[in-house]
Amino acid sequence: MTRTSAQALAVAQPVIRILVVVNITYAVLIGGLLVFSFLMDGWPWRALGFDMVHAHPWLPLGLRAIVVLGLIGAAIVHTILRRLLAIVDTVRVGDPFILENARRLEAIAWSVLALEGLRLVVAAIAAVVWEPGRIDAFSFAPWLAVLLLFVLAGVFAHGARMRADLEGTV
Amino acid sequence: MAILVRLDEKLHERRMTLTELAARVDITVANLSILKTGKAKAIRFSTLEAICIALDCQPGDLLAHDPTLPTEE
Repeated sequence: MTRTSAQALAVAQPVIRILVVVNITYAVLIGGLLVFSFLMDGWPWRALGFDMVHAHPWLPLGLRAIVVLGLIGAAIVHTILRRLLAIVDTVRVGDPFILENARRLEAIAWSVLALEGLRLVVAAIAAVVWEPGRIDAFSFAPWLAVLLLFVLAGVFAHGARMRADLEGTV
Repeated sequence: MAILVRLDEKLHERRMTLTELAARVDITVANLSILKTGKAKAIRFSTLEAICIALDCQPGDLLAHDPTLPTEE
């Protein structure tokens, strides 16, 4: 193990735990925002301090849809963090090369893919309700991360099978 | 597993204990015990060679195939 990855593993557990709390807080806050949007008269114009109901009539609906997608995203991020924590825990216990971790990595890959899909949907909604025809949310990095995660999951599954073979070798 | 390990018989023939063999071939008693009881999934050539030298025998003296036993997946 390199020094950098050893240090990353050492700080991973507390960092992931903090991120879990931050993510839950974020979900509660935007959930509250969604509820508040239905209770407040003239939302969001009154909160923003200016009225553009004629220029952007779909803005309230679009904002609420984005908040709902944000809540779905927070739920997905929560599953990613829990799985990542479980993987880090297996490293600490000393037995990370198990098929369960390969399955966790694959699930994380699907989750990141779903998050990226959500991001594009959010960008599309924002474009429709604010500035039609303008979508500039595409980025290569997340798609590369998804590919990397699927490859890693495959490598992990192969490694776990090889280790299972070695276990009974004398 | 249809492969039989006849380590026990060879040890008996040579009047040697598992602990003595473990010391000679530099393998733990626990691992040799796994091999002896037929619970091992595989055996390294280096292990087989060390046991053959220690017991002065051929691999065929230690391993046998019994087609009447079920094969392992």
